[in-house]
Amino acid sequence: MDHLTLTLLHTVLKEVQGKHDWRASLDTLFTSLRGSFVFDNVVIYIEDPQSKSWEIAYARAMGRGKIAEADAVWGERVATDVLSTKKMVLKEPKHLGREKDRMDQPYLLGMPLSIASKVCGALVFVRFGGPKYSDLHVKIASLQAFWAAALLERRELQEARAELDSVQRQMRLQDDFVSTISHELRTPLGFIKGYSTSLLRQDTKWDDATQREFLNIIDEEADRLTRLIEDMLESARLQSKTLQFKFSPVRIDALVRDVATRVNTHHPDLKIEFNLETLPPVLGDGVRLSQVFENLFSNAIKYAPGSKLVISTKSLGKRVQISFEDKGEGIPEDFLPFLFERFYRVPGERTVTGTGLGLYICKQIVMAHHGKIWVDSVLDQGTTFFIELPADPTL
Amino acid sequence: MAKRILIVDDEPRYLRLLEANLRTEGYEVATAQDGVQALDVFSAQPIDLVLLDVMMPRLDGFGTCQRIREFSSVPIVILTARGEEQDRVRGLDLGADDYLVKPFSATELLARVRAVLRRAQPPAETGQARFFTHDDLKIDFARAEVWRAEEAISLSATEYRLLLQFAHNIGKILTSEELLTSVWGAEYKTDKEILWVSIARLRQKLEGDAHNPRHIVTRSGLGYLMPPLES
Repeated sequence: MDHLTLTLLHTVLKEVQGKHDWRASLDTLFTSLRGSFVFDNVVIYIEDPQSKSWEIAYARAMGRGKIAEADAVWGERVATDVLSTKKMVLKEPKHLGREKDRMDQPYLLGMPLSIASKVCGALVFVRFGGPKYSDLHVKIASLQAFWAAALLERRELQEARAELDSVQRQMRLQDDFVSTISHELRTPLGFIKGYSTSLLRQDTKWDDATQREFLNIIDEEADRLTRLIEDMLESARLQSKTLQFKFSPVRIDALVRDVATRVNTHHPDLKIEFNLETLPPVLGDGVRLSQVFENLFSNAIKYAPGSKLVISTKSLGKRVQISFEDKGEGIPEDFLPFLFERFYRVPGERTVTGTGLGLYICKQIVMAHHGKIWVDSVLDQGTTFFIELPADPTL
Repeated sequence: MAKRILIVDDEPRYLRLLEANLRTEGYEVATAQDGVQALDVFSAQPIDLVLLDVMMPRLDGFGTCQRIREFSSVPIVILTARGEEQDRVRGLDLGADDYLVKPFSATELLARVRAVLRRAQPPAETGQARFFTHDDLKIDFARAEVWRAEEAISLSATEYRLLLQFAHNIGKILTSEELLTSVWGAEYKTDKEILWVSIARLRQKLEGDAHNPRHIVTRSGLGYLMPPLES
């Protein structure tokens, strides 16, 4: 082997190895040796082990082969022969025709591809109208087949590894979820257990006020547990997309007014100010969207007590926007990115009962409407939640 | 004099629960909502026992336990959630004397507190020698102090009681049950985990080479002993 060839090979293989994408690596492998080995088309066939049919993993057409690019069937017979014999296959046209019919005179060269030491595919070259493959060409093709197989094997490993990574990530999420759930459930249970066993103590007598206080706590914590379980079921249904949405045209401005009226009957002290533009209807599930609004009202009542709530709607062409603005103490900026995550609660907010699921559920519902929900907050000034929904496209 | 107990938990409802029950037993109570506050309260007044929640903002229960142990051997009980075995071992590793698993009943809480406070009482000495030596180990019973190679060692109340069991029973094999009953109380008889962790901690402090102990030796399947020194 001369020095020049060795240098060429070294450069080519280094480049082939260095490419991140296996297709680009194969491109380099085939084009960079065309100086020594000319062909019109190259196709890699891989046999699908289940269906036993051919899959084309890679195909490139050069020069006059480009006309025949779509038609890769010419190589399938050769590939079948390669796979059954596990050897190189050479096929040349029997009758040489005239120059203009060269597309009917394919010279085919098939090389076995072995991945994980098993022949499972073929690398097929075609030259329309010749010339014949020389010994040197066959040797180059054999080298290319070896490298192509190595690249395909690397691809398989990469894919298997990506799949494994994703499974592991899923399992980790599942673990986190289970440990969060058990912690969330245990908190109200701990109070119920602790306060009820306090009342049951034989060795002490609690005064009436303390007894009532403890019973109230037990009652509230039992409610919290119920709410937590309901929210968990709801969020699990949203997560698994098994919650059915009934979409129909909905007037958001009217809907938010209805919810506000309902909220005011339970919380007559809450001052609600409206700033409503008439909006085009959206295609939505009125019940679910009410749930979102109720949640935002109840958050404002819990986390911005005493503040008035300004509800504004705006039409933005093909979208509508609703905002809920309070003048409460605001949320520190560091916590904002996590507000819509499942079970997230702003640290230090333990005094207010909550499940950490409300905003997560809101987000899932809004997303099922192809909308967005986000929050702006300034400390000591207040918090605003925004929802944007697409207007009904059929109207 | 009434014992004062510091309760540390970020859930106000746990603080209320613990405080109400402890007061019925005549304890005085101080409270803190996180580890940083707990350290402030702890350094401002005498505290006989700390009840410490694990999950807290700012400084969690483990961090707080570690910090308190840097300067005090006050009994510490970690409040932890069920199933988190790693948490329990970690708490003991950091020098906690005991743990209480949430959810717990009021009577369980009070029983644990009583047991831990009882352990913290230095046992009455009956006119024996004031000092005890075992190779490079020295104990001053009167002052409840321990030295290794002339260097003072800080032991928690539980660790000190555990060491005394061995010092008073030179050459005798003590079973896990005996040790648990005499140091922790009969209700701990089967809690081998707490004994293993405590023995390991004690060895780390007493032994030159904790893997090759000379003061507290394991007799597989039988128990532990402090071997008699060859004279």
